[in-house]
Amino acid sequence: MGGLFSYFRGLLGAREMRILILGLDGAGKTTILYKLQVGEVVTTIPTIGFNVEQVTYKNLKFQVWDLGGQTSIRPYWRCYYGNTDAIIYVVDSADRDRIGISKDELVHMLREDELANAILVVLANKQDMAGCLTVAEVHQALGLDALRDRTFQIFKTSAVKGEGLDQAMDWLSNALQARK
Amino acid sequence: MYTLLHGFYKYLVQKDEFCVLILGLDNAGKTTYLEACKTKFTKKYKAMNPNRITTTVGLNIGKIDVNGVQLNFWDLGGQLELQSLWDKYYAECHGVIYIVDSSDRDRISESKETFDRMIASEHLTGVPLLVLANKQDIPDCMGVHTVKPIFNQNAHLIGARDIMLMATSALTGDGVDEGIRWLVDCIKRNMADRPPRNRQDNL
Repeated sequence: MGGLFSYFRGLLGAREMRILILGLDGAGKTTILYKLQVGEVVTTIPTIGFNVEQVTYKNLKFQVWDLGGQTSIRPYWRCYYGNTDAIIYVVDSADRDRIGISKDELVHMLREDELANAILVVLANKQDMAGCLTVAEVHQALGLDALRDRTFQIFKTSAVKGEGLDQAMDWLSNALQARK
Repeated sequence: MYTLLHGFYKYLVQKDEFCVLILGLDNAGKTTYLEACKTKFTKKYKAMNPNRITTTVGLNIGKIDVNGVQLNFWDLGGQLELQSLWDKYYAECHGVIYIVDSSDRDRISESKETFDRMIASEHLTGVPLLVLANKQDIPDCMGVHTVKPIFNQNAHLIGARDIMLMATSALTGDGVDEGIRWLVDCIKRNMADRPPRNRQDNL
């Protein structure tokens, strides 16, 4: 009986979800990836290329890809779009000057057919900084009100303090499970 | 030739698509209600555990087929700072479901004020409104008799649109079915004013 139970559990938990972490350079993508994976804040350097790690969160396995965010390498994001279950889009809430660029990249990305069924999580990161954008401001600045056919959710996070990431992952794992 | 026939076939079998907004204060039970709808009208739908539903900051969508039409739900966050985003969706919606937490006596007037602000929008003129006195599973909650008079004030704002107030419990699923069927009937009647989303180009 126990064997049977664990067999079915294995079936449920077996599929690894593929998640992309995207966003402009300096938004905190790599910090978030390693905060999720090892639970610590690591010192990062700008990512040229990508980091990929397996993250287990509440018996769900995620394969998380953190792609470099600099202007010159953003065109290569699309090479990774296939079979993506969810996108974690990281925004530097303290960087008011570049939120427009961040919006353009997001809009551009969401137009891709390959991402039509991907769930979107927006992390309004760096909430520990003074004078940062609020959730509603991020919502507006990113033009998220134009989205009609996609489930998305915004979370306030501070990767360096580890705040908000748990809620975001909780919601994401629920949304992914409900979608199956 | 194939494309032509295929296109014609698709035109024949396609269902009219309508968009329904689910609004209300935070913690009224909008997302739980959406899950209840999906469970009622989708075969084999595995609903999210209600205990794990958190505050929405963003958008939850849902699609259901009912009475030969397709409803697309937009469930938005209800917190005060997010209410300013609601009106972005008004012009495109075909119906509004407004959810009231019947167990929260302290915030009923706030809920009513928010409701008034919403229906005052010109983009919602003529759009059918379903007001749900939710959380009827909580023993000490206000019944329809208490909630209805509160929402019946300001009749001039409501105008000529269809409006209905019903008791529901999104948690148990009571009243979900009746509400949706009522709303679909109204949306169909209102079709001349607000044509289905997928046929707007043809008109």
